[in-house]
Amino acid sequence: MAVEKVVFGRDVYGLQEIKKAAYRFIDKFSIDIELSDSKIECSLNFLKSDQSDAFWVDEFKKEVLDQDLRQRIKLETEPVRNLILAHAFSKSRLIDK
Amino acid sequence: MSKFQQINFYQSKSAAYKLLPFRFARLDGDKYFLSNMVGEYLILNRNSLDKAVNHKLNSLDQTYIDLRARQFIQDESNSVAFDLLAIKTRTKFSRLSNFTSLHIFVVSLRCEHSCPYCQVSRQSEDKGKFDMTEKIADRAIDFVFKSPSQVIKIEFQGGEPLLNYPLIQYVVEQAKKINITECRNLDFVIATNLALITPQILSFCLQHGIHISTSLDGPEDLHNTNRPRKEKNSYQKAIKGIELARDILGRDRVSALMTTTEASLGRGGEIVDEYIRMGFNGIFLRALSPYGFAIKTKSFAAYQTDKWLEFYRSAMEYIIQLNKDGIAFQEYGSSIILAKMLSARDPGYVDLMNPSGMGIAAIVYNYDGSVHPSDESRMLAEMGDNTFLMGNVLKDSYEDVFSSNSFLDPLEASMTTSVPMCEECAFEPYCGSDPVYHYAMHQDFIARKPDSGFCQKNMGIFKYLVEKMESDPYVKRLFRSWANLK
Repeated sequence: MAVEKVVFGRDVYGLQEIKKAAYRFIDKFSIDIELSDSKIECSLNFLKSDQSDAFWVDEFKKEVLDQDLRQRIKLETEPVRNLILAHAFSKSRLIDK
Repeated sequence: MSKFQQINFYQSKSAAYKLLPFRFARLDGDKYFLSNMVGEYLILNRNSLDKAVNHKLNSLDQTYIDLRARQFIQDESNSVAFDLLAIKTRTKFSRLSNFTSLHIFVVSLRCEHSCPYCQVSRQSEDKGKFDMTEKIADRAIDFVFKSPSQVIKIEFQGGEPLLNYPLIQYVVEQAKKINITECRNLDFVIATNLALITPQILSFCLQHGIHISTSLDGPEDLHNTNRPRKEKNSYQKAIKGIELARDILGRDRVSALMTTTEASLGRGGEIVDEYIRMGFNGIFLRALSPYGFAIKTKSFAAYQTDKWLEFYRSAMEYIIQLNKDGIAFQEYGSSIILAKMLSARDPGYVDLMNPSGMGIAAIVYNYDGSVHPSDESRMLAEMGDNTFLMGNVLKDSYEDVFSSNSFLDPLEASMTTSVPMCEECAFEPYCGSDPVYHYAMHQDFIARKPDSGFCQKNMGIFKYLVEKMESDPYVKRLFRSWANLK
């Protein structure tokens, strides 16, 4: 089984975003994550794949970046999302019943 | 000096906008697909997405205007965005409190066909063993009218339902009698292969406004391969039956559905041509069913999904070209998704609902009185797995059946807003969940989405539809018409 190491700075990315990104590739590789003071070290253990390991390492890095952006949108919009949902169902029969 | 202010005067202060909730997915290359909680969407490149999230957009940018128009951002000029999102969200979920409009009666498990993919038919002539009785039908009709839905459709299925035609007559007459006081919008459909159809049966259908839904898998050789009969005449019977039914009921009361088998893959154009030859205005390109060969060999599933997507895309290209050539024809599965993408309307298609449409959109009363939340879960039960069995009309009340754990547990698990990967998926507003499929394939109501053929198939369709719309203005107009938006 081929193993590729990918290292992220802890002050750049969060552990949750890296885990979420890794989940999306659960059919391509398994992952071991180790934390140090300043780094998050990921060992990607590749299963059989139709693409090269380098391709999936690259995709994983892009996905971590996307997850970071998603997290920022989520943090900024979560209160308003909850408010919209509360407002949407406040007068509906879904709750009245 | 001009009497008018420069355009910059009207510009919002930089970063004076708020983000509203939205999600995004990477398409090919630098393109990103953004959708908000009610399914409004926009395509942006990475740079514009970053600028939007970092509050760096100028209010005169086209991206800013597009994001604001679709309620991805809010500034002082669109304070109504909040209310619009709430109203659209409520509209999308309003169907939930009026549940179960489709009631499927499996009036007989017997069939005179012997289709290899079918898990539910029996060749037996033993009527007592495999036909629904009036006693069971009476109890099932009670259940039908306990549903909150104002719109009720009773569909007769099999096996071949016409092998128990007297019971169909009985159910129609009893339901119509009850409906005199219930005043629901009551409709009936017989799903039949038409091999046993007669003018007398069709006269009854005409009298009671019953629709006919039949099977047409494509050209003669394909249809007869998929649907073997001793006499090797399934296709001829279907064509003759369609023509007879149209003569008596009218064209609008007769529809056809195809079943995709491995033999269908690669023959999309021929199948579409057969539907056009028979005067149909569209087709539903249905996916391969996992109940049968695929369920026994899980590794087969992903391979099959790829092959099916290839089949779908190729048939869609053919259909789009037909429309460009002046032949109006649509693909109904895509139309359902496009209605969700391009409007706040949810057509309520069982496989694309959140929570799942099982039991909520449709329910199945089997010949023996057992109640199942979907046709697929009935098939699973016929294969010996009763995980989704809700109860039996002969011994359980409506309340017992709808509060059974075998129904509520998978339904609760099917909320896509709390499923890993679905909750952050930009295509979630158009998708749904299928606990029966995932249980059948992965022994888990949810399953890991990267391994899911259901996810792979739907993502393939969504991306195809978006890319076609974005790359060809004609296709965008065509798809809007399919979604009933002229």
